[in-house]
Amino acid sequence: MGAQDLSILSLASLLIFLIPVIYINRRLKLAINQTLITSIVRMCVQLGFVGIYLEFLFKFNSPVLNTVYLLMMISIACHSIIRSCNLKFKLFFVPVFFSLLIPFTVILFFFNAVVVRIDNLFEAKYLIPIGGMLLGNSLRSIIIGLSNFYSGIQKDEKVYLYSISLFNNRIHALKPYFLQSFSAAIAPIIASMATIGLVSLPGMMTGQILGGSIPLVAIKYQIAIMLSIFYTEYFSTILAIVFSLKVGFNELDVLNQDIFIPKK
Amino acid sequence: MISFESVCLRHQGKDIFNNLDLTILEKENVLIQGKSGIGKTTLFKLLLGFGTADSGSILFNGYKIGKTHINEIREQIFYLSQDIDLRHESVGNLLDEILKVNLIQHNNSNKIEKILNFLELDIKLLEQNIKDLSGGERQRVGLLIGFLLDRPVWLLDEPTSALDDAMKRKVSKFILGQDKTIVIISHDDVWKQHKEIKIKRLR
Repeated sequence: MGAQDLSILSLASLLIFLIPVIYINRRLKLAINQTLITSIVRMCVQLGFVGIYLEFLFKFNSPVLNTVYLLMMISIACHSIIRSCNLKFKLFFVPVFFSLLIPFTVILFFFNAVVVRIDNLFEAKYLIPIGGMLLGNSLRSIIIGLSNFYSGIQKDEKVYLYSISLFNNRIHALKPYFLQSFSAAIAPIIASMATIGLVSLPGMMTGQILGGSIPLVAIKYQIAIMLSIFYTEYFSTILAIVFSLKVGFNELDVLNQDIFIPKK
Repeated sequence: MISFESVCLRHQGKDIFNNLDLTILEKENVLIQGKSGIGKTTLFKLLLGFGTADSGSILFNGYKIGKTHINEIREQIFYLSQDIDLRHESVGNLLDEILKVNLIQHNNSNKIEKILNFLELDIKLLEQNIKDLSGGERQRVGLLIGFLLDRPVWLLDEPTSALDDAMKRKVSKFILGQDKTIVIISHDDVWKQHKEIKIKRLR
C-alpha cells in the first residue's frame, strides 16, 4: 500500500495560486516576487535531483555510497551554516564539520540499531531520510547558536574583555554569551516538542500516514525522531561553539576580528 | 615592574605610539598625562594583552606579554576601565562570582560592608542591577571590586571622574595609601595634590 502517485500536471496545478500572490505582491510593492520565484524553482530543481539520486541510492543500497552521500550533505550543511553566520568558511569548516559529524553519527546509528533494530545499519531507506531530518534541524540550531555567540561577543567586546581582566578565566568570561546563544538555539525544538500534535501534524508523520503506515506506528516514529533531533541539536550546537573557540579567539583570549566576513 | 621599550603601534593608518619608552617601578604611583587620543588607554590594553604592539617589547615583571605568562600577568593586575564595563547582573551576584573564580575566601561580608561604608554606598545596592546604577555608583562598585581582589598592580582609567570633590579626595588618598604599584590616567587635579605621585607625560 502506498500513496497515490501525483501526475506532473496535477502537481503543476498548485502553481495557479501563485497568480494572486504575485499580483498582490506587486500591488503592495512588496519586492519579493523575484526571490519567491527563484526559491520555488530552486526547490523543484533540487528536489528533482534528490529524487533521481535517491532512486539511484535505494537501488544500489551500498554502504559506501550512502556514507559518501551523508558526508556530502554534512559538507553542504557546513557551508550553509557558516555563510548564514557571516563567518569565514576557511576558518570554520573543520570545527563545524566535526560538530555536526560526531553527534549525528552517534544518534543516527543508535536510532537504526537500537530503536528501529534494522539489520543493515546502512540501509538507505532509513539512513538517508532520517539523516536528512537530523541534519536539517541541527543546521538551524547551529546557525542560531554560533551567530548569536560571536555577534554577542563582538557587540559586547568591552564588557567581555573587562570580564577577562576581572576573572582571569576565559570560561567564566564566555559563560553568559554561551548560555544566551545556546538557549536561543535549542528553544525552538523544545517549544515544538511541547506543542506537537496540538497545533500541527508534523510533516514526517503526514508523509508516513500517506505512505500507508497506521497512525500508531507513525506516532512512535515521530516521537523517536523528535527526541533524536533534540539530542543532535543539543550536542552539535555545544560542540560547534566549543570547537570553534580555537579559531574564534587569539591566544590571549581576545576575539579575532577577522573571522567575520566584512559587511559591504 | 612595567616597561615599554621602543613600542610602535599603528591603528587605521595613524601612529598611536612611535618608539614609546616608559618604565614604571614596583610600588611606584604614576599619573599618566597627555591630550586625549594620544593612546593612554591603549597603554593599559597592551599591558593586559587586549591588543598587540606592531614592534618593540613590553615587559611585566620581566615577562613578555604573551601566551605563556598572560594568566600570571592578568592575575596581578586590577584594571578599572573608563566606562566600568561590568556585566549587567546584580551587584551581589557579580561580586560572588568574581570572588569565587579568583579563589578568594568568601567569609568576608564584613569586609564588603566596611568598604561599602567607606565608599558611602548602601548595603541594599548589592541587590541592584549594574545597569540601573548611576555613573558615580558604578565607579565606586568598580573600586569595591578592586579592594576585594587586592591585586598588587592597579591600572585606573579615569577612576574618579564621576565622584564629587569630597569623595575624590577621600578615594584618591586611600588608593595611594596602599602599598601597590598604581598607574592612573586622570584629568582630575586631585591626584596631582598627592606628593607621592609621579607625573609622566605621553607625547
